[in-house]
Amino acid sequence: MSTLDGFAGGLFESRDDFVLTLLDNMIWPILALVILAVYLLVPQTLQNVRSVRLIMWSAAPLALLVLAESLCLLSGHFDLSIGSIAGFSAMVSGMVLANCPSCWGLTTNPWIGFALIFTIGALIGVFNGVMVARFNVNPFLQTLAVLIIFQGGKTALNTQPISGLPSTYLFPGGTADFAIGVLVVAFVLFGVVMRYTPFGQAVYALGSDKDSALEVGIRTDRVIIAVYTISGVLSAFAGLLLTGFVGVVPPLIGEGLVFQAFAGAVIGGISLFGGRGKVTGALGGVLLIALIQSALNNSAAIEATQIQFFNGVVLLIAILLYNTRTSIRGRILASGAQ
Amino acid sequence: MSVDDAAEETPDTGSEGEAVADARDVGDVPVAGTGEVKLEIENVHKRFGRVVALQGVNLDIYEKEVFALVGDNGAGKSTLMNIISGVHEPTEGTVRLDGREIAFTNPSDAREAGVETVYQDLALMDDLDIATNIFMGQFPQRKIGPFGFIDWDETREQARHIVHDRLGRTEIDIDTEVQFLSGGQRQLVAVARTLAFDPDVIILDEPTSALSVDAADLVHRTIEYLREEEGITVIIVSHSIEDVLQIADRIGVLYQGVLVDVTVPEEASLESLTDLMTTGTYGD
Repeated sequence: MSTLDGFAGGLFESRDDFVLTLLDNMIWPILALVILAVYLLVPQTLQNVRSVRLIMWSAAPLALLVLAESLCLLSGHFDLSIGSIAGFSAMVSGMVLANCPSCWGLTTNPWIGFALIFTIGALIGVFNGVMVARFNVNPFLQTLAVLIIFQGGKTALNTQPISGLPSTYLFPGGTADFAIGVLVVAFVLFGVVMRYTPFGQAVYALGSDKDSALEVGIRTDRVIIAVYTISGVLSAFAGLLLTGFVGVVPPLIGEGLVFQAFAGAVIGGISLFGGRGKVTGALGGVLLIALIQSALNNSAAIEATQIQFFNGVVLLIAILLYNTRTSIRGRILASGAQ
Repeated sequence: MSVDDAAEETPDTGSEGEAVADARDVGDVPVAGTGEVKLEIENVHKRFGRVVALQGVNLDIYEKEVFALVGDNGAGKSTLMNIISGVHEPTEGTVRLDGREIAFTNPSDAREAGVETVYQDLALMDDLDIATNIFMGQFPQRKIGPFGFIDWDETREQARHIVHDRLGRTEIDIDTEVQFLSGGQRQLVAVARTLAFDPDVIILDEPTSALSVDAADLVHRTIEYLREEEGITVIIVSHSIEDVLQIADRIGVLYQGVLVDVTVPEEASLESLTDLMTTGTYGD
């Protein structure tokens, strides 16, 4: 390994160490560049504190989905169903609470709505976890099936926007400060759990090497079920925030969000193969995706119908960056191996 | 004393090689270590369906000895190792640890009884650092209310103590990710993890397999250290005769599920052990 001089030399043992640290934290220079580009090209996006607050508010549901996906990825698994869980749980809960023609209108008690939406998310998560952990179903195929089932289920239930929901039910997502608070608390809590609890470290161990984790006494099946359950609950929470943000349950709620969540997690440095990644990186990924979304929405040059195209481009860039990072990392490790 | 210091001392084979057992009579075997029996394996049989993996194995392993179990592929050495480490239960026969009959039903039982195993794959998590690998699943914790949180300062301190003070590898930074380590250092981390449980017996499965000469030397010194300084009984499962001739106090040879001989390195040679491993008898 070659050495470094000067300030960097004091912080890093070698050039390889410096490069690896940079690769693990590359979200921050990328975010800085994107902020600069947005500021120059679409200045109204970052016009004032109010516009920044709006970006953060609209980012709150995505933030929870990125956390859900990050948790699954860190454990070495996938969850394609997060957007579908968000949409289905919000739709069922909305139909129970609202009095629209196609709704069930069983109650107006918002607390029943809260309990229902989280329970649905948790149950679908447990289902995913049990199928993957106990029945060895491929996580990709399992969650793809669940995505299709519950996205289809949501459409089968209702194709009209659901309005007239209780104001208390809309409060979490409809109040900027509360939604931003949820984002902040969720990341802090997630960071503490992953760093300071045996469960968090077990997730990293599972993602790094499942067989090794099992050999050192970690109940990997329980960890997998817990990961998918938490992912389901976070997804449902995202559905609740989306409902509050929009003020209704739109028929397409949650659709396509899994791709943004993937992009946010991967560009934030969460490994697609598990065991590697930081919560702060995922936060950077959320901020980046939210900023790009906001800039696309504000840009006069881009039509609303073109935004999905640009979402795909962002996902592709995230994957290319991930590949580059993995490739450089592999080269450095190979050169250092004995 | 560290790993390096321990290696400079002459291994104590206990019996000094006297009264080597006849090739087919393993009842009268040389004694090693302190002479106190640590592990008694009595008439152990293991069958997997119609396949007989072990047939009537009788063996005493002593305190503070390095005992090597060798044999060709399919000879039954891994099966015997797995019975001692709690992965398999014997079909027939008994195993005693410190005179008490044991019936491990899983590796956790063995761990609680003081028997640790380092498998050939080492069970290391490459993306995590050394300290995390050593204490994965057993982190020192600090209670805050009803919740237990990992005490990282204590984790690092204990990891440093094991790697630097007990194993004497001060050049290894315990914050290094395991993927950056050499083969010998990885083996050392796996051993360090077992030391965190204060074991009486450590089983090493193919500890020098696919290692360079330097890395194998580090492993040899570590094994010497475990016996000399930690007073641990070390069981090595290997198919490398050259290796066990260098480091073992005694060598048990398995052939088609039968323990055909227990000998000492001074009375054995590469050729004689190869014959025994491949034919079940010594050649001419």
